Amino acid sequence: MLALTWIQGLIAHRRGRLVAASLGVAVAVALLASIGTFLSTSKATMTSRSVATVAIDWQVEAQSGTDPAAVTDALRATPSVVATAPVGFAETTGLTATTAGPGGTNTTQSTGPGVVLGLPGDYRNLFPDVIRDLSGAPSGVLIAQQTAANLHVGPGDTVTVGRAGLDPVSIRVDGIVDLPQADSLFQHVGAPAASQPQAPPDNVILMPDTQWHTLFDPLAATGADLVRTQVHTRLDHALPTDPVAAYDAVVRQAHNLEARLHGGGVVGDNLGATLASARADALYAQVLFLFLGLPGAILAGLLTTAVASAGATRRRQDQALLRTRGATTSQLTRIAVIEALAVGGLGSAMGLLGALAVGRLAFGTVGFGGSLRTAAWWVAAAVIAGIAIAVASIAMPARRDARSLTIAAARQSVGRARNPRWMRFGLDFWLIALALAVFWLTSQSGYKLVLAVEGVPTISVSYWAFAGPALLWVGAALVTWRLTTVFLKRGRTPLGTMLRPVAGGLADTVAAAMGRQRRLLATGAVLVALTASFATSTAVFNSTYHHQAAIDAALTNGADVRVTQSPGGIVGPDQAATLATIPGVKSVEAIQHRYAYVGNDLQDLFGVNPTTVVGATKLVDGYFQGGTATEVMGRLAAQPDALLVSDETVKDYQLNLGDPIKLRLQDNQTKQLVDVAFHYAGVAKEFPTAPHDSFLIANADYVAKATGSNAVGSFLIVTSGSSPTEVANRVRDQVGTTASVTDIGSSKRLIGSSLTAVDLSGLTRVELGFALVLAAASTGLVLWLGLAERRRTFAIAAALGATARQLGGFVWAEAALIAGVGLVAGAISGWALSAMLVKVLTGVFDPPPDVLTIPWGYLSVLVVVALGSVALAAGAAVRATRRASIAMLRAA
Amino acid sequence: MTVVPPAAIETLALVECQNAARTFGSGAQTVVAVHSASCRIEPGQTVALVGVSGSGKSTLLNLLAGLDIPSKGSVTWPTIGARASLRPGPVGVVFQTPSLLPPLNVVENVALPLLLGGVARVEADARARGSLDRLGLHWLADKLPEELSGGQAQRVAVARVLAGTPRLILADEPTGQLDRAAAAEVMDALLGAAEFIGAGLLVSTHDEQIAERLAIRWQMTDGRLQTESDSACLR
Repeated sequence: MLALTWIQGLIAHRRGRLVAASLGVAVAVALLASIGTFLSTSKATMTSRSVATVAIDWQVEAQSGTDPAAVTDALRATPSVVATAPVGFAETTGLTATTAGPGGTNTTQSTGPGVVLGLPGDYRNLFPDVIRDLSGAPSGVLIAQQTAANLHVGPGDTVTVGRAGLDPVSIRVDGIVDLPQADSLFQHVGAPAASQPQAPPDNVILMPDTQWHTLFDPLAATGADLVRTQVHTRLDHALPTDPVAAYDAVVRQAHNLEARLHGGGVVGDNLGATLASARADALYAQVLFLFLGLPGAILAGLLTTAVASAGATRRRQDQALLRTRGATTSQLTRIAVIEALAVGGLGSAMGLLGALAVGRLAFGTVGFGGSLRTAAWWVAAAVIAGIAIAVASIAMPARRDARSLTIAAARQSVGRARNPRWMRFGLDFWLIALALAVFWLTSQSGYKLVLAVEGVPTISVSYWAFAGPALLWVGAALVTWRLTTVFLKRGRTPLGTMLRPVAGGLADTVAAAMGRQRRLLATGAVLVALTASFATSTAVFNSTYHHQAAIDAALTNGADVRVTQSPGGIVGPDQAATLATIPGVKSVEAIQHRYAYVGNDLQDLFGVNPTTVVGATKLVDGYFQGGTATEVMGRLAAQPDALLVSDETVKDYQLNLGDPIKLRLQDNQTKQLVDVAFHYAGVAKEFPTAPHDSFLIANADYVAKATGSNAVGSFLIVTSGSSPTEVANRVRDQVGTTASVTDIGSSKRLIGSSLTAVDLSGLTRVELGFALVLAAASTGLVLWLGLAERRRTFAIAAALGATARQLGGFVWAEAALIAGVGLVAGAISGWALSAMLVKVLTGVFDPPPDVLTIPWGYLSVLVVVALGSVALAAGAAVRATRRASIAMLRAA
Repeated sequence: MTVVPPAAIETLALVECQNAARTFGSGAQTVVAVHSASCRIEPGQTVALVGVSGSGKSTLLNLLAGLDIPSKGSVTWPTIGARASLRPGPVGVVFQTPSLLPPLNVVENVALPLLLGGVARVEADARARGSLDRLGLHWLADKLPEELSGGQAQRVAVARVLAGTPRLILADEPTGQLDRAAAAEVMDALLGAAEFIGAGLLVSTHDEQIAERLAIRWQMTDGRLQTESDSACLR
């Protein structure tokens, strides 16, 4: 009954306090539920996208002595198997082709060993993403693009296929194809999980299985281990939405199949391998949730506590009144719990509605997760968190007061309290020292937060690494509290001097008043600092992430727009001038692309014009080792036969600067590989359009002279402010089907949505939006509530004759201190946190950043919001003091 | 009863009410707190404003202090000046509840009206300490308001009024929340302060023993004021 009366009284007379505390809970619930939605939808997207990238789910290799038909039967008995196709793999000793050269003379080209595949007739229907047509017929004998280039053959030409111990056979080429997933197609099935990935063969021919059996069954009959059969399998993709669960399901099925085959077949589990990578990304998403989401929710919880504690003095006085009228501790506790539950319930309801709106706006979702179960989980978790925040901020302090405070003490509001125990023990400094120690320990393991070993079912996350930033965040907040209170206590003279412009002759009195309210003011400043720190670190992390994604996209695409010539098509650098006339094109840079042998290793060779390539492709210094981009390109320009190689090549061949290197390049006239002399001039770690592994960079003119061809591999186009997509469309109209045209926007989307990186765009919008709300609340709302609680103080001052300007002096001085100290401390700790976060989360960056990217625009908005909110709150408080009620003077 | 010529009234009155009324709310909800009150206080006069709770004593006192404006009639301060110049300075007010600012210590609280009036900090501090000494409260100088008893807080509030050397002191039930001994101490302080600076003093109270210590008695009943000039039986 007492509780009911109390709640009715609160609704009637303390409505503002109830609504403000509920709003704090709502922000926390909305943030948790929104980020939960992000996490669960991200995971579902990761699963579906990773499944979609797999061309062949399983490659089940029949072991020696096992009939492939038995493997096929076992697969067909597996419920999740949708389609199977037996594929023959035969090793050839080499391929040879004789083609017509310039001047009517015939030339003969030969390759090293290769692989010939035998495919059933319906293979391309069952596995459409394995083979991509480039030219010629889509069926019959198909030759891989690089092999065709090596042999200089095209559709209609004849290739001789070597067979170990048997006579070679000649076949007629019907078409040229690309094998986009050659790495997995030619994997070593059954290789130990820890072994190095095997490079796909340089020379590949595909043919109908009937023809393949005719050519290679005799080879199989010789007993040599040169022929094998794989059964390519497509599975039902109705998998659990969480990549971890999906991975477990697929791997369990594969193990079950291998058990049923009794060693007669080994599963090359491409789907499992892809999901293994996705589950690591899913855990990174989880890590991001912890790093970026939880601090926001904690902050919202602290704000609720601040809102609740702004009314704590009045609540204590209410409690004291109740106690004088005989209320017991348990009765006081019960009414506080009921108030907390009311606030928690109302706040949770508002928060869930907010999260639905945020989910729809930021992620395009209409629920709280990928499935009903995850939705229920997130709703329950967010509501529990909301109620826990309300109980912690309202019921627990009230219970503590009811149990420990005397009635007289409950009526006190300022007090001469000693420094808190943590301050006496230096906990703040210990926390910062610990944060640095944990950070150092984490750095020793190369910041590998997520450890997902392929083939190993368990996956681990180094949650220990969270301790670094978390301890720093808390430690910095406590240091801010310490410094603020010490300054307010001991620095009254300088504070009085500083306050003279706003408080005039009352400056010393205002300074004294602030000194005695130092705990309250320091708490406000810390709240602002925590919010500013959270917002700064989130914004810097996000902008650094997007900057790196843009760099990755620039690396992948090379420039705003890239024109890649078709294999076999010969286009000289003079076409750059034609492309430059297209509206929106600022400059065009021609890049040669060849293949070159370094010893037995075939690598991509890029021929560049070192004098123009630096500006044209936005070369970054970090791409090179031992000098800036300009310096390294300067070396290339100064020495025609200079060659930049990868770090791996330097180590493999023990190279020193200036060492001669011989590369084998194909001569355009003879189509034979010829030795070309270069000198090692530096290391290139990355280069636009180049693959992530080994590659070479040389002078285009020198390569053209040595090979007799100036054929360009791609043109990199820089736009003049126009949309790259629009310019790409114009370029596409001009070049037609002779070349493929890509723009940086599509590369960004590809990178952003790929599983090597978690798509942060939705999370970014939610985080940054909430950070602004929290900044406004932590500055304005908390200040206003604190001032509102002291309306009687201002009413007394007004009754004593204080002018509006003099009352404003009290208000503005507090506002300036809270906002100033909070924002400065927040900026410093936010910067430190950003640096730590970016280092600890190195795994989500590709490439890892050299420096932080500061989002000045967002940070300016943040400061404006915080200061604007403070100004509004202080202005409202000053106006309220002018209307100081006489009734307030009579209030106890 | 003293008969004062009209010209002399103009020069002697610290505050004068002429048919001043104060109403709250509107329409059917209108409450008349003070009905057409007329009264005046001269320097050195001590007045007890007596009435039960809710009779309109505080409302009248707020009108006399310039804290509120009459709905009808007028309140003027002929020898003091306009309403805006009353505080801090010529009019000192002591409220029913402790009205010290919690974050300021006793001496800072006492000095505050002086600082608000533009007195230099050093001088304000000296006058505040002098005022506390006068009332025997110097030992409380560094205490915070929450460390004081109710009686001490009210005596400090009187010291704050005394420091401003006002010409008119208005005290709104200053002993309402105090026990008998504390109430006596506060009244001693108020009367002593008024006498020391020669100020007019009005104390609202429902306590007959307090009222008897003041020279003049005004009665407030249901918002209607009866002064000595209205009835000889008031004293």
